[in-house]
Amino acid sequence: MAQGNLGIEPEMLKAIYGQMARIRAVDKAIQAGLSSGKFTFTYWPMTGQECIPATVSQLTTERDYMVTTYRGIHDQVAKGVDLYGMFAEALGREGGLNKGKGGSPHISDPSSGSMVTSAIVGAGPVIANGLAISAKQRGEDRVTIVNFGDGATSIGPVHEAMNLAATWKLPVIFMCQNNQWGEYTPIPEYTASPNFFGRAEALGFRGVQLDGNDPAAFYKGMKEVIDSVRAGNGPVFVEALTYRMGPHAGVGDNYNATKDALAAAKERTPIEKTRALLIDAGISSEDELNAVEAAAKGEVDDAVARALASPVTPASETTVDVFADDTCVPKRGVYPVREAEAELTGETKTMTMAGAIVDAQDVAMAANAEVFLLGEDVGDPHGGTFGTNKGLQTKYGPLRVRNTPISESAIIGAAIGSSIAGMNPIAEIMFCDFMGVCLDQIANHAAKQRYMSGSATHAPMTIRMQVGGAIGGFGAQHSQSLEAWLTHVPGIKVLYPSNPIDAKGMLLSAVNDPDPVVVLESIMLLFTQKAEVPTGDYRIPLGVAKVCREGSDVTLISYGWELHNCLAAAEELAKDGINAEVIDLRSLVPIDYYRVLESVKKTKRAVVVHAAVEFCGLGAEICSTINEELWGQLKAPAIRLGADYAPIAYSREIEMSQVPNTDAIVARVRASMKS
Amino acid sequence: MATELTIPKLEMSMTEGTLAEWMFESGDHVNEGDVIYILETDKTAREIESPATGIITVTVADGETYPCGTVIGEIA
Repeated sequence: MAQGNLGIEPEMLKAIYGQMARIRAVDKAIQAGLSSGKFTFTYWPMTGQECIPATVSQLTTERDYMVTTYRGIHDQVAKGVDLYGMFAEALGREGGLNKGKGGSPHISDPSSGSMVTSAIVGAGPVIANGLAISAKQRGEDRVTIVNFGDGATSIGPVHEAMNLAATWKLPVIFMCQNNQWGEYTPIPEYTASPNFFGRAEALGFRGVQLDGNDPAAFYKGMKEVIDSVRAGNGPVFVEALTYRMGPHAGVGDNYNATKDALAAAKERTPIEKTRALLIDAGISSEDELNAVEAAAKGEVDDAVARALASPVTPASETTVDVFADDTCVPKRGVYPVREAEAELTGETKTMTMAGAIVDAQDVAMAANAEVFLLGEDVGDPHGGTFGTNKGLQTKYGPLRVRNTPISESAIIGAAIGSSIAGMNPIAEIMFCDFMGVCLDQIANHAAKQRYMSGSATHAPMTIRMQVGGAIGGFGAQHSQSLEAWLTHVPGIKVLYPSNPIDAKGMLLSAVNDPDPVVVLESIMLLFTQKAEVPTGDYRIPLGVAKVCREGSDVTLISYGWELHNCLAAAEELAKDGINAEVIDLRSLVPIDYYRVLESVKKTKRAVVVHAAVEFCGLGAEICSTINEELWGQLKAPAIRLGADYAPIAYSREIEMSQVPNTDAIVARVRASMKS
Repeated sequence: MATELTIPKLEMSMTEGTLAEWMFESGDHVNEGDVIYILETDKTAREIESPATGIITVTVADGETYPCGTVIGEIA
């Protein structure tokens, strides 16, 4: 039959059917394995949606990036992910693509271009933007396709991602596989929108609606879309209409759908329809298609058999892949000795901490074209709300110092995606209090990518956050010390410099670190001190605390701006003849327990001081370790001092008393000395 | 190698299932894909297909409810 009648080249239709047959064979094998009890993992079936990735696979290569969701096995198969590695991953086996640490909802396989798979609804699009930034910045012609369901269109980051991609004309395709269901809830119950592609127009870019169950129409539509995006015409939102035949999770039919709706959808399922078309049009014989299906089943059977033979990933792997270097993982009783920085010599310049941060970024950007900066108002003339990037956009241009929308999830997601592609982004979050609106990206994605992927991919990015407090008048949502939110999430390093020299050297270490690092910058310290900061590149190693004042009677352990209160308290205490040693942790993860314990062994007393709320704060963790390790050697139990359990008050009087001040530290130390 | 039959976990929330009816008896020959029993959950009744070809051995009675993962027989 002529192409004109079909609307697609016969060979192309056969190729699409071939991919659909592979997806069907995988789907059947999983459902059979789960039904018989042979497999015991959770499955989110994509039955009925096979045509979408099968068609896209004919228009893309492994060089093109893909991001998908837990309901994305069809996307993985069509993208070219190795089936043995995929089944072994779903079964939690050593031979899995990601060492059995991520499972099917977290597949990451850069060799096929399947970069990130997220189990958080709507989280993928912001990360896809980052992959697209890397391609655009490097002048590559890759497109990034991010798959998500219609249900995901209701969550904020999808909107943020669409807005950023349109603003920056990124080569990304938002592939909304509209299967009519958001988990167990059908469309009219969760949105009043008549469609989803129309939302693109509202954000200033192109949206199209295509029949995702019709390979000829979908191929034609997607070819034009992919060509356009590849040519640099900016993003496109594709609403691919389909129907989810299965339940949200599990096997069998979509039992939430009515019998009539399911029967009607069955009439339109792409595999059966395409198969009939190939035969009716005289393109393939029944025997040929049987052979295609048998070959697909053979490939799957072989993959499953080998996957089941792969050993279950053992518990000895537990902390491997948390960080690039396993010694950064805090472990009870294991306190590595890390070498401190050599004495800093050479030319210096007088700088504030803000100036030192600008200088560090300047050094990093000059040394490496893959380092770029993004955040709200980071461009000139402001150079950030606190001027921590002043002059950098003028020097490096708007593509390397990128002003963003007020969109923290989009900022962090873009940093994650570009870092997974190998860039070294620095994202600025104006106040750490805003972490709440992007914590999913930080905690569920940046922190976990290395682990969930078994180190197949990782996110070597830096996040700089300004921390309010001790200034007065910023109120409860701009003054918090939230480091414990971060230190509680495995996979993210956390630094908190207390002076300009450390701020520069630690930031340079962060930018060059293989893991995601958050650097907390106290606003109170940005302009209140000046130091002779070395010019050029130097590094302060992570996980190395520093003794700032030697003493013999008690060890004060702190970081950030409270370190300065501790130093002042030590001077007060000296008047009473109490000689306090003061340690600046500098790095909270990895933490330098070796130097902390060595100091407390000497002084036999310890007080940990931080501006964060005392209850469940880092001080409790550090005290517990000291007390456990040095029990019997101590003259008094290690104690902590943090902020009162209350939001930070607007009233200056309350704020200055609720967070540890010098007097409070002195009093707490005296209490310890009485023991 | 014998293939163990267990009560599957079909849904995230499923903890047990009722083996409503065996379609074969011990000693019968079954082919992969044959419906070997009916499983009822709080959501659906589902025909469970044989994961292998061979001689089936049934080790538990039908009409009873079993926790997910319970061994109910094998195909050898």
